[in-house]
Amino acid sequence: MKTYLSLIISFIILSAGCVCAPCPASVLMQTPADVSSPQAVLMTDAGDTPAQSSKQPDDAGADEYRDDENLDDDDDPFGEERVTIADPIEPFNRAMYHFNDKMYFWMLKPVAQGYKEVVPEPARVSVKNFFSNLGFPARFVSCLLQADFSGAATEVGRFTINTVWGIGGLLDPSANKELDLQKQNTDLGQTLGVYGVGHGFYIVWPFFGPSSPRDSITMAGDYFLYPPWYVQPWYASTGVTAYEAVNSTSLRIGEYESLKGAAIDPYVSMRDAYIQYRMKDVKARKARSVLFKNSGANNPAADTFQPEK
Amino acid sequence: MNPVATAGGLFGPPQTISKEAGGLNTAIAYRYHEDTFKGDTEHVIRQNQIYSQVAYGASNRWEIYGRIGIADLKIFDAFTSTDVLTTTSKDHFEENWKFFGTLGAKGFYPLNNIFGVGAFMQGSYHFSNYTDEVAGVRNTTPFVADLKIKNLWDLNFGVGLQAAVPGGIKLYMGPYVYYAQANAYLSSAIPGIQSGNQKVSWKNKSNAGGFCGADIPLAKGFRLNIEGQYTDRFSIGSAITYTY
Repeated sequence: MKTYLSLIISFIILSAGCVCAPCPASVLMQTPADVSSPQAVLMTDAGDTPAQSSKQPDDAGADEYRDDENLDDDDDPFGEERVTIADPIEPFNRAMYHFNDKMYFWMLKPVAQGYKEVVPEPARVSVKNFFSNLGFPARFVSCLLQADFSGAATEVGRFTINTVWGIGGLLDPSANKELDLQKQNTDLGQTLGVYGVGHGFYIVWPFFGPSSPRDSITMAGDYFLYPPWYVQPWYASTGVTAYEAVNSTSLRIGEYESLKGAAIDPYVSMRDAYIQYRMKDVKARKARSVLFKNSGANNPAADTFQPEK
Repeated sequence: MNPVATAGGLFGPPQTISKEAGGLNTAIAYRYHEDTFKGDTEHVIRQNQIYSQVAYGASNRWEIYGRIGIADLKIFDAFTSTDVLTTTSKDHFEENWKFFGTLGAKGFYPLNNIFGVGAFMQGSYHFSNYTDEVAGVRNTTPFVADLKIKNLWDLNFGVGLQAAVPGGIKLYMGPYVYYAQANAYLSSAIPGIQSGNQKVSWKNKSNAGGFCGADIPLAKGFRLNIEGQYTDRFSIGSAITYTY
């Protein structure tokens, strides 16, 4: 009985903590798609060309980066970069996407909305800062592994200042204009990407959301490098993680709904947004690495696409 | 037993360093503290305090603050025997880091562009007991006894004169009064160790003192605060503050 209870609690808490976890894939909460065919979604951001994605090769696993095609014409400044990832287990992914979507709307969002009603925003931002500060080990190790020593030093400075003068990390004085020590948005999955490890194929984990075999490393890395996981007993650490997820979600209710509502096929949109997001992250990290930055501009990371000449 | 009394850190400049529109400032501080306490006998006590502070102030006039920190405690000659038939393994009471908290408030009134006066009140409470053990021999009979210092608290009130000098430096000084109290429990009545009493409430020997300090701007919102306090003994501390 105790085991079943534990499993049920784990299930609930994991779903709360991971369905919309504030990881790089957090924007990628997926909903079920009733359109099975691939579809292009335009993703744009400042200073870059719009990217287009799609495609589902049957033999996608044979060459994981064969999909990283660029149909863009260099002569066309308004061309679209085509960024895709193999999706050989799309039926499973769509099922998991549907599952995560329901978990979000039926459980996480209502809880987060209630939490939002009773906890003022400054307090919720402080909680977010606190957990972000606890993510220092993972970011620091990732920076070191990427040979981004400037980033590692920045992380050490941020952690020290925020812990000492930020009331244990509840405040973020490091991000103030005067200090300007910005958080390094990196993880172990990006580290592998910097060294040329490709995504592999697309996979949607239940509770954890969009990922790839490579980026799933981040989950393991988070486990070992995230202090809350060491809280004992196990249900305390799980509860802390669930609370973090609820708090984080309360600060961005509506974002996922907007993204989902704007897409014809939300599943495909999320998938393409995910690969595009990760690609840009890896590219940015590679540009900061002392090993790659001199050649970084012309030597994109593994999950970036090469324009066809 | 008697001894022990504390003060929960620096008093700081009378004028808040928070922005005029209102805002937080935080600090990390260290203080070396000595004092003398009197019960049946007198003892010098010494503490090293490390604490973190968060404060909210506004209008350059007022501030409230809270601190959480750790402090050790040494009571000199707490176990020194005054009876020739009692010998002890050590003379001093020593205990390592225990948590304490402080709450305080201050107000400031500017007299002109340079000078101003202010007043503050702050109180501290040590959440944990300080405990040390002494072994010895009494009439050839060995003994072991624990001394616990419980419910340590203090209250401080002072007024200060502040002068703002070029460079954004604030110099300040003034008198203060304070009261400290704690309960000391000796697990066994040992003749020769203090009065041998098993339970004593103690207080500080001096009730008034003076303080002076300087608050110096560093860079990027940080400031350095150095302060000395004198009652029966001299204490000194330093804090690095950050203004949001």
